[in-house]
Amino acid sequence: MAKSPENLSEAELEERTNAHPMSVPFLWLGRESTIKNFMWLPIAGMIICTALGLIYPPHHLAPWDFFGSWTVIGFVAYSLVVFSAGPLFKLLARNEDYYGEGGLPDPEYSTEGDHHD
Amino acid sequence: MIDILQINPGLWVILAGIICAFLPVSPIRKALVLLAPIFAAVMIFQIYGAQEVIGGVINFAGMDYTTLRIDRLSMIWGYLFCLAGVLNAIYGLHEKCKITDSSALIYMGAALAGVFSGDLLTLFIFWELAAISSVFLVWKGGEHSYASGIRYLAIHVLSGVLLLAGAIVYGRANGGDFTFGNIGLGAPGGWLLLIAMGIKCGFPFLHNWIQDAYPKASITGTVILSAFTTKLALYALARGFAGEDILIYIGAVMTCFPVFFAVIENDLRRVLSYSLNNQLGFMVCGIGIGTPLAMNGVAAHVVADVIFKGLLFMSMGAVMLRTGTTKASELGGLFRSMPYTTLFCLIGAGSIAAFPLLSAFVTKSMILTAALEEHLWVPLAMLLFASAGVMEHSGIKVPYFTFFSHDSGRRVKEAPWNMLTAMGLASLLCIVFALPGVSFGYKLLYSLLPYEVDYHPYTPDHVIFQLQLLFAAITAFCILKKYGLYPSEKRAEIIDFDWTYRKLGLGIAKWIGAMWTRLSVNITGLRKTFIDNAGKRLYQIFSPAGAMSEAAPSGLAAVLTAGMLVIALLIMFITSV
Repeated sequence: MAKSPENLSEAELEERTNAHPMSVPFLWLGRESTIKNFMWLPIAGMIICTALGLIYPPHHLAPWDFFGSWTVIGFVAYSLVVFSAGPLFKLLARNEDYYGEGGLPDPEYSTEGDHHD
Repeated sequence: MIDILQINPGLWVILAGIICAFLPVSPIRKALVLLAPIFAAVMIFQIYGAQEVIGGVINFAGMDYTTLRIDRLSMIWGYLFCLAGVLNAIYGLHEKCKITDSSALIYMGAALAGVFSGDLLTLFIFWELAAISSVFLVWKGGEHSYASGIRYLAIHVLSGVLLLAGAIVYGRANGGDFTFGNIGLGAPGGWLLLIAMGIKCGFPFLHNWIQDAYPKASITGTVILSAFTTKLALYALARGFAGEDILIYIGAVMTCFPVFFAVIENDLRRVLSYSLNNQLGFMVCGIGIGTPLAMNGVAAHVVADVIFKGLLFMSMGAVMLRTGTTKASELGGLFRSMPYTTLFCLIGAGSIAAFPLLSAFVTKSMILTAALEEHLWVPLAMLLFASAGVMEHSGIKVPYFTFFSHDSGRRVKEAPWNMLTAMGLASLLCIVFALPGVSFGYKLLYSLLPYEVDYHPYTPDHVIFQLQLLFAAITAFCILKKYGLYPSEKRAEIIDFDWTYRKLGLGIAKWIGAMWTRLSVNITGLRKTFIDNAGKRLYQIFSPAGAMSEAAPSGLAAVLTAGMLVIALLIMFITSV
């Protein structure tokens, strides 16, 4: 996946220079094309496992079990959680210093000293 | 002569913690922090054979305290605490802080001594000691953690007071027998004990101290805290309330509600605190089911949870150390700078999500199977929903927003060697405890469980259906992200049930205070006016210049005297009749 140094753009060279040596072979993980195409991996896994469910049916059946039921549960439950985020955020989010205690640690509040040593 | 095999192993660790408080040389202190849990583990091994061991009975104030009881249930917790102590010690090697070293050891020792307590009064002593010693780890988080620490202490002391009250009621009803065995809700004091344990265990509406204190503790402190308090409470529940139906539903609710908070929380250490709550729910539910399979699942999942949750907190601690924040909105792209931490975090995330070949796959599934076998359909549905939720907050959100997502542009150093070593060991354990078909794999973990194990996690249907759930969740994430439906991370304070006492309760208390002040001012004014007026009147009447001193005609004086005599006579007459 990694390109040879002569084929790299200036930005890629800079990224490579600043990265940890162990990360260099994996910099492709941050590329737009990788992120775009990554989704095919879980989709393929999902389809294969759902199909395999026909060959290996569950030993113990729950009342809601049908072909691909766990796939449906995983997809719907995950989506439900994510879709609940919008209204919940509107309902429960307040300013970071809402309680007047300085909020959680971050570069402005942190007491751990210089973290970029 | 004292037999050292009659001494609770936790006491050695507490002693090491006390010594640490007076040791000025950091390397010696660190050696003690590392060696004390190892020594405690050796002592457990020496004391416990295959039979239950009861010893260390002390008579104090006319009561017997059983300070040592090791059986199959407490043994696994004991070894686990020692293991966590070693990992935490390695993780904190870079931190030269006497308070952290000392309180970490006393806290761990108290938790260890607590699980080996044979009676409720001894448990109470170590229950409170664990609370008091651990608050220093919260306060080491800095000035912003002071109020959280106070709340943490208040809530835990309350838990201890309830435990003591429950123990006294229970002990008196049993003729002075305080033995800590199966209690049940029907026993006198049972509810008090359950609430005391529920506070420490993070029951719904009693859970906020976890999300309040843990993200505000020091980097090392959060990792240490995540291992002991809640697990000591779980042990107490498993010992005292196994098979109580109410726990099935409490546990099921505990698995679900944190999922909704975690998805909108920006601080990733707080996300992990919600995730901790969620995992505790699985175990509380298992305790409620109470069958041998469920109890084995609880004990196994406690081991897995301490390791993978510790690992996730460690990885976020490393990120915090290097970047100064764990806010998802400020992070991203750190895999370029921290490749090892990224890898370890991914292993922790995969473990908590229960991917095959990682620890929760062989532990959490025992609890789910127990629910299935008992036909507990509603709780089972809730646990399945929560499993997809775990994938969201700990499996995807934590590693994705920290190490991948958009590049925050931060180029930092990799974590220090000691942190990497601790994370590496924890990662290794996550894998080793899930390895199939070898004696040191999951079979080793199963050999330590309280009951005989007849459970095989690597059946084709289990692997396939678990992967269906996980792949479907990841697919949902990818699709929602691709179409911009996944919410972006925003800086905010997410209010939870603690709003009732941090805002509403505080507001009411402040209002009562203000009203009281105003009332006091008014009452003082009224009292002053009344006293002033009365004084003035009395002065006007009785002073040398007053009305009574004025010269009056002798006839009038005689009439007045006669009138007073009549009144006196009347009173005497009425009272004598």
